[in-house]
Amino acid sequence: MASISATFVGFGASVNLSVRTDNQIIGKSSSLVSFGLPRTGGFPSIRTSRLQICAAKPETLEKVSAIVRKQLALTPETELTPQTKFTELGADSLDTVEIVMGLEEEFDISVEEENSEIITTIQEAADLIDKLVEKKA
Amino acid sequence: MKLDCYQRTFAHSSSSLTPIQLPAHLETHLWYVKPSEVKNESLLKQYLDILSPRERENVMQMRGEELRKSALLARTLVRTTIARYQINSQINPRSLKFRKNIHGKPEVDWQFSNDSLPPPLHFNISHTSSLVACGVTVDSQIGIDVEEKHRSIKHTVLSFARRYFSKHEIQFLASITDPQVQKLEFIKLWTLKEAYVKALGKGFSGAPFKTFTIRFKEDSIHQASEIVVDSFDEPTELTSNWQFSLLELANSHYAAICTEKHAASAEGKRNVPTKLTVWKTIPFVVDECVSGTDAVKTIYG
Repeated sequence: MASISATFVGFGASVNLSVRTDNQIIGKSSSLVSFGLPRTGGFPSIRTSRLQICAAKPETLEKVSAIVRKQLALTPETELTPQTKFTELGADSLDTVEIVMGLEEEFDISVEEENSEIITTIQEAADLIDKLVEKKA
Repeated sequence: MKLDCYQRTFAHSSSSLTPIQLPAHLETHLWYVKPSEVKNESLLKQYLDILSPRERENVMQMRGEELRKSALLARTLVRTTIARYQINSQINPRSLKFRKNIHGKPEVDWQFSNDSLPPPLHFNISHTSSLVACGVTVDSQIGIDVEEKHRSIKHTVLSFARRYFSKHEIQFLASITDPQVQKLEFIKLWTLKEAYVKALGKGFSGAPFKTFTIRFKEDSIHQASEIVVDSFDEPTELTSNWQFSLLELANSHYAAICTEKHAASAEGKRNVPTKLTVWKTIPFVVDECVSGTDAVKTIYG
């Protein structure tokens, strides 16, 4: 059964939505959520437990989550959302700089000190990473 | 010499705080709590009750009971510690208000009805899951940092140092051959650097770790006598404004304290030893002065 997750970008005036299923972007809309029917038939199941508000790629979010989990030695039961703050998970300043180091290694980027302060959630980390990776390309 | 450090004081009633005099001009007070020693549920409820709604919210957002407890104790320690000094006859920890300075450093938002100047009390807190500490001074900016001595890090000491520390500090750590000693020295250096940045109050990006060096100055007989900071960005007069102490607390933690020196003092910028008094506390229950005991070992300062 295909599953669709809706992704939104930012809180700003221009809202860009991309709806993807099975790694294929099937439509963009500038209003609220619109879902396309999956090609594989059947009813889409929508992950509504957390509507993700993000600009970053899901793979980036996943990789960031994995690095955070490892650094903070989280139990598998600990739920992570893009909005989860590192401090809520018990990260202190040393943990945060290690997370930044882990991200730099994983994505082969360099995070300036000014930016390391704005990385307080998984979302913010992923957004910055995608921006830096794009700049490199 | 006036002794304001009594051994152990039990609170008169379950909601009272033993009052204490403000630290003197060149004095620092350090208060700490060990979360593992606070188990009483009704006491923890009492602590929750003195927090502001926002602080309560932040505490409840922490993931896991241990994290919630240390977050709760951090705010409780700040409020009860400041309330002890009974500034302007204010004795209720619940009524204290806080705000952040322009760089995000927390400070007290004194609520005075008249135009009197706010008291020159400064504070800074640091917490690990196993120890929460609050430093207090008068007339002097302060930054503190505590870390578990044996705290694990995911990267090697040198890769961490190469990424964040200055050249001199990397060389210092690289020259230590014993990996265990190297790790301990790394943790000490980290706490000192954190304490400095927190004292400056400009945030992590305001004084990037790579732009300043903390080193141990040796005296004429090559003994480490003083911790000093050299900055690439700030001229020497400004960096000599700061002095450091490094302690081992409760045999388990390193605590670094960075405070402002007073140019106005008669001795000028010469390093005048500051008096440090340390209390272990369980707010509303018991305060124990631990200066001069095994719980506080001075490494430098």
